[in-house]
Amino acid sequence: MSKTIQQDEEIMHHASGAARQKTITIAVAGNPNSGKSTLINAIAGTRLYVGNWPGVTVEKKSASFEYEGTAIKLVDLPGTYSLSPYTQEEIIARDYLVHEKPDVIVNVVDATNLERNLYLTVQLLELGIPVIIALNIYDEAVSKGYKIDIRTMEDVLGVKVIPTVATKKSGLDGLLKAVTNISGSASMHHPKKLNYGDDIESAAATVEKKIKSSYPQLLHKYPLRWLAFKLMERDCHVMEEIDIGLDNSFAAFIAEPITHLKKAHGEDIESIMADERYALASGLSREVLKRPEFRKMEITEKIDKVVLNRFLGIPIFLAAMWVVFKLTFDFSAPFADWIDAMTTGPFKRWAEAILGFINPPAWTVSLATDGVIAGVGFVIVFVPVIFAMMFFITFLEGSGYMARAAFVMDRAMHAIGLHGKSFIPMLLGFGCNVPAVYATRTLENPRDKALTSLLIPLMSCGARLPVYVVFIGAFFTACAGTVLWSLYVMGIALAVLMGIIFKKTLFKGESPMFIMELPPYRMPSFRSLMIHTWEKGKHFLIKAGTYILAVSILVWFLLNLPWGVENKKDSYLGKMGQVIAPVLEPIGFGNWEAASSLVSGLIAKEIVVGTMGEIYVPKAGDKKKAQPALTDDLKEIGASFAGAIKDSASNVFSTFGIASLKSEESAEEKEERSPLRDTIKSKFTPLSAYAFITFVLLYMPCVVVAIAMKQEFGTWKWFGIAFAYQMVLAWVVAFTIYQGGKLLGLG
Amino acid sequence: MNLAMLKPGEHGKITKMGAVGPLKRRLMDMGVLVGENVKVEKIAPLGDPIEVTIKNYNLSLRKKEAEGIEVEVVK
Repeated sequence: MSKTIQQDEEIMHHASGAARQKTITIAVAGNPNSGKSTLINAIAGTRLYVGNWPGVTVEKKSASFEYEGTAIKLVDLPGTYSLSPYTQEEIIARDYLVHEKPDVIVNVVDATNLERNLYLTVQLLELGIPVIIALNIYDEAVSKGYKIDIRTMEDVLGVKVIPTVATKKSGLDGLLKAVTNISGSASMHHPKKLNYGDDIESAAATVEKKIKSSYPQLLHKYPLRWLAFKLMERDCHVMEEIDIGLDNSFAAFIAEPITHLKKAHGEDIESIMADERYALASGLSREVLKRPEFRKMEITEKIDKVVLNRFLGIPIFLAAMWVVFKLTFDFSAPFADWIDAMTTGPFKRWAEAILGFINPPAWTVSLATDGVIAGVGFVIVFVPVIFAMMFFITFLEGSGYMARAAFVMDRAMHAIGLHGKSFIPMLLGFGCNVPAVYATRTLENPRDKALTSLLIPLMSCGARLPVYVVFIGAFFTACAGTVLWSLYVMGIALAVLMGIIFKKTLFKGESPMFIMELPPYRMPSFRSLMIHTWEKGKHFLIKAGTYILAVSILVWFLLNLPWGVENKKDSYLGKMGQVIAPVLEPIGFGNWEAASSLVSGLIAKEIVVGTMGEIYVPKAGDKKKAQPALTDDLKEIGASFAGAIKDSASNVFSTFGIASLKSEESAEEKEERSPLRDTIKSKFTPLSAYAFITFVLLYMPCVVVAIAMKQEFGTWKWFGIAFAYQMVLAWVVAFTIYQGGKLLGLG
Repeated sequence: MNLAMLKPGEHGKITKMGAVGPLKRRLMDMGVLVGENVKVEKIAPLGDPIEVTIKNYNLSLRKKEAEGIEVEVVK
């Protein structure tokens, strides 16, 4: 919906841009870690619209607003070091710049790392689009004793240079003023043509002339100088786009100046160009930047001496991960419980009361409360954990520690075909697979992201614990700890195994590189953290929420239809269970009750227990509870919310109590479950029980994980693969355990 | 002599880039160029990857990638 509006806007903008008051389109480009995100957040704040670039999973942020009467559209390009044709991010950035032709590029440059940042600037200038440089992190450069001659920088590049400190919102006004002035004084904004040296320039001139005479149609599509450079570099992306690579006369024509260049430099042309661009960046950096002669040891170095130490590095990393894990789940758990209590308690009662006035058929009441309200509750329950996870992940990335974590863990993760950064999503998986899948967005390479997401469901999440608890309580009270431990270890071991298998099959031949900047440690701005967290939470609520609600209603239909079935065996779910049961026969639990419970676990694995309860221990009529008055309800909501805040705070600040992992069962719950345990004892043997919980550990990701994967990858493909391999894996492992156990005489 | 052979604290000057294609381009984009001075800062606790300083910033890369970068030791 919003996408079409955006597109319409763009069309209108192109059609009548000159006639009506013009909207200025700004593309913001810059290196990763240059403070670009913070700058965008500081300018656009809550007006940011976060979506995806078409066809890919790279995040696209944009915002439309007015500044002093001028309409501005801001588009954030992915952070890149260069504009090569090899990574998704770089292709997106250059395609946008070349084809959408923004009015101005705001190039965010890290003042403390001038040379490498200017390498991108040099490439941006090739496009001939007006550029304004935001010389960001300027305060840090000043405090390091750097002196940057801004006037000379402006003269050499022919662009405006504005010092900014995005974290303190300083310089942003000047930046926006420069942007709105862009149409006024064109001279200052039209970048100078930098001189690439006589031989490159003369080769470029020859190619430009040829393009003009033989392919004039390309002049409308591409900036001439940029196109000439790309053709000289034999840029695969551009060659593919314009298709003259096939044209022999052109290829022959262009080959001559290139061969000449190659001979003179003894290098391939791509390297010659990169060398020359860096020479320009270095030259400029030397000209305008004065560093103090005596360099004191920086804070980053001091921290890294400890954090990346040979002996301390891993313990510190594990401790940091423990804290993040605990904070994510302990902070969010009380709120999740509160939301759960609200939707199953007061909200459900109110809906029943309101529906009671119009006296509808019983099934509509059930659909509204058990289907819709429970479904909505199920969506909202995830919000606190997604918010908390996003907050901490953003903090880890913004502070610079994420890169260190990847550095420390890469060797171990690389062994199973993953990237150092994969460790954090995998770890979060033990709490809940859903935020874990969202956390894979810290991985830049699509292959790493996909493989990590495929392995995440093997991390035993918190929702599987209630199932283990019931079965362990029924059969393995003597060695409860060992059995529980064996399940977690089995998940990890199988993840290692599957990682190796996937590396050699599905992802054969591709081996992504690990060339990563270790940025200086910095305190991320709170505002930026909050905006990022809020965007992600909102995104989940709206996009994932719709799907989850639909699935939850579907499950209601399965459980309750045909309406009024006395025996659960005759419900659609029961019938599905009967169909599936024979497949489960060889693995120890070939009955419709177990099969139906497993099907209902599609929505969340803890539901397996609830369904078993309903099937095995039918309630002897609903317990009549006194209906609390509305005022009591309201008081209770307020009080329990206050309690949730208190619990959350005490979880975070006090000890690292294991609130999120221990299964807290109230006395009432225990009382309800004991008949279930007795029934389970009569229906399962210890061996089939163990096979069953193993199956529950492995058999498939829940529906919310499926939706998270769909959202992150824009396709159902990876969920499909995860579903298929896990089903097979679960069956094979359970089969081995059950049949192997029987052979050993354990059955 | 290649970059992976340098010990932490040692300086080198890049003499040749053995890598090809996207890997080479990526390294060059990060400032790993012939003639550039590079210092090995650290080796990760598990032995790989390594951290180097180049162009006044810190870069990490796997030993396998560093092996393709020829250097001469600078005293």
